[in-house]
Amino acid sequence: MTLIMVVDDDQDLAEMLGIVLTGSGFEVDLVNSGDQVMNIFDNHQPDLVLLDVMLPGLSGIEVCTLIREKSMVPIVMLTAKGDSYDVVKGLEAGADDYMVKPFNPSELVARIKVRLRRSGTESSTTLRICDITIDQVAHTIIRNGKTIPLTRLEFDLLVALAKEPGRVFTRDALLSEVWGYQQAADTRLVNVHVQRLRAKIEEDVDNPQVVLTVRGVGYKAGASQT
Amino acid sequence: MRWLGVKWRSSILFRVISTTFILSLILISLVGSILFIQISNGIFREKTNESVSEAQSLYDYAQGQLDATLYLQSLKLSVVVKRILQASDLTVATTPREVVLIGSPVLHAANGAFNGASGNVEIKSIPQTLRVAVRKTGLAQWIRGDITFTDGSRKSAIIVGHAVEIPPQSPYELYYVFLLTEQQTIVDFIGRLLLFAGFLLIFMIGGISWYVIRQAINPVRDAAEIAEQLTAGDLNRRMHVTGQDEMARLAISFNEMAVSMQQQISRLENLSRLQQRFVSDVSHELRTPLTTIRMASEVIAENKGKMDPAAARSAELLQSQIARFETLLTDLLEVSRFDASASILELKETDIKSLVIQTIDQLHIGNMGQIRTDFSEGSVIAMVDPRRIERVLRNLISNAIDHSEGSTIDITIRQTEREVAVGVRDYGIGFTERESERLFDRFWRADPSRSRLRGGTGLGLSIALDDAKLHQGALKAWGAPGKGANFVLTVPIAPGIPIQGEPIPVDPNDVPSTSFLNFDEDDI
Repeated sequence: MTLIMVVDDDQDLAEMLGIVLTGSGFEVDLVNSGDQVMNIFDNHQPDLVLLDVMLPGLSGIEVCTLIREKSMVPIVMLTAKGDSYDVVKGLEAGADDYMVKPFNPSELVARIKVRLRRSGTESSTTLRICDITIDQVAHTIIRNGKTIPLTRLEFDLLVALAKEPGRVFTRDALLSEVWGYQQAADTRLVNVHVQRLRAKIEEDVDNPQVVLTVRGVGYKAGASQT
Repeated sequence: MRWLGVKWRSSILFRVISTTFILSLILISLVGSILFIQISNGIFREKTNESVSEAQSLYDYAQGQLDATLYLQSLKLSVVVKRILQASDLTVATTPREVVLIGSPVLHAANGAFNGASGNVEIKSIPQTLRVAVRKTGLAQWIRGDITFTDGSRKSAIIVGHAVEIPPQSPYELYYVFLLTEQQTIVDFIGRLLLFAGFLLIFMIGGISWYVIRQAINPVRDAAEIAEQLTAGDLNRRMHVTGQDEMARLAISFNEMAVSMQQQISRLENLSRLQQRFVSDVSHELRTPLTTIRMASEVIAENKGKMDPAAARSAELLQSQIARFETLLTDLLEVSRFDASASILELKETDIKSLVIQTIDQLHIGNMGQIRTDFSEGSVIAMVDPRRIERVLRNLISNAIDHSEGSTIDITIRQTEREVAVGVRDYGIGFTERESERLFDRFWRADPSRSRLRGGTGLGLSIALDDAKLHQGALKAWGAPGKGANFVLTVPIAPGIPIQGEPIPVDPNDVPSTSFLNFDEDDI
């Protein structure tokens, strides 16, 4: 059973989320305050965290940072302000995706399912991008014999680029491929996560070799070395 | 010359300096001229007096000598005349002079055997006026004039003339020519000196007034400069206060003004910040329960099949009204953002044509044959906020559909070098002039039953107008009852280029006598 941790100070909304998610076949942990999150997180090890940005005690962004320090679990933020800089703050703190209230429950379930999808299982090939080896079975990436921990989203992002080495991906294409958005969505998602990915895998973040920016278009994989 | 004109109008300093310069030039040349004339007259007068008295004694002596030839046989006339004509005979006088002896004209006889002059003086250059005066009066006469020499040179001189008689009874005129070379040199020197002093004075006066005016003007210049910086937004700039004079008072009151302005601005900024905070808080506080309600309604709607018909219909109504409430909330928040000036354009290079096509697609219009498009060739690129422009277009097109009564809807795109325009024209019910005045008012509906067909909030046109203004564009409306309506959105091709023309006239020519609305920056 997949366990989803719902963190929201609004008990009614949390309960409603619980009803909807349980109805979709998930197991749900409800947490009402930011301060309790880490405690429950350590004990229950959820598969995904649904996190409200505005929380009493620790804010959603602080919680996000704390979770990211010890786990690569997918995090989806819930925000009431779609256009504020809270979104970027949350993404920079490690959230994989965000939903703007009031959201459509089926849309929420769809987003959660995309985040839980185990990519790479459909293929057993090992991909190479620059001097990085991507093992799609073990779900790890290795450089110089050392494993680099990535979130599932970052892994998906890198695999998407590595699978088609010559192709330049527009931000919209990546949003559809990695995030599962069918309609135009917030391209900041791509920008922020490419930055986060680069911080982990590039030797020189200011001069990226693995994930290359194609000005005015999008991103592509760097040339692979054998 | 144009530069001078511009400088004259734009700089007090330049104006004052040039006025001072011109006035002192006039004054100093006047004083200098008077001074010069007085001095040179004085010098010449003294020389004249001296010359006249000297000529008198020379004449007395000469006449005496001539008369003596009558009695002294040893004294030959020719010798005496020759001696008289000896210019530099310094035995009698010490002043350098020349002598001219001319025979006066007499009746029936030639007279001029003794004509002669010293020092190459041209005899003819003795002025006729002087000669006439000498002959008439028989007394000493003098004049200041120019003397010509045989070599052609001219010199200024005092000429003193006497009538003499050369025995036996020949009337002659004896002229003594006192050259003014020395006096002329002095006068010339004084003239040059005065000219030099005059110019020196003018420049010194100019310099002093420049210095003094600058002292008075500099604080004014500072004030202007600081005022400009304040205008540019640097609210912390203040004038430097020195001393206790009028300029210091100017600086103090200027600074007080700046302080009070800064306080006003920060007060307004605070208000605006509070307003934005309020909007954002309301947004959060309303959205959370709305999310819960929405999810609950979806869960209920999913179980519609298990309910009795009344409960099932209620579930449907609940769902659609929640959707409407959501739209209303979004629109309200948008309006608050406009009011708080918190709206920001997210400019992107956008193809207006594909945006229009995309908007039409997304409206899922039942009868697509109703839409008639007239687009210009190729793509129509403009730097706009696509989200806002799409919202305006969606609003105009769905309004047109609601009010078209099934008639054709013409959608036109036109572009010029400066602006892009989209026109949405329907041939439906239109609106009266009175209605047109309230068209862009919030929550105003021409016919309440109609707009609700498509779930309009009554804020659409108000937001559309705000969106157009945010782009520094215009949204104009025309309508006539029974003849339909025409809405034209005009936006600049890129920010900072003010729109000038109307690529699409809002008033279609096919309907004469119309109500015409023009919503510009200043309205509302």
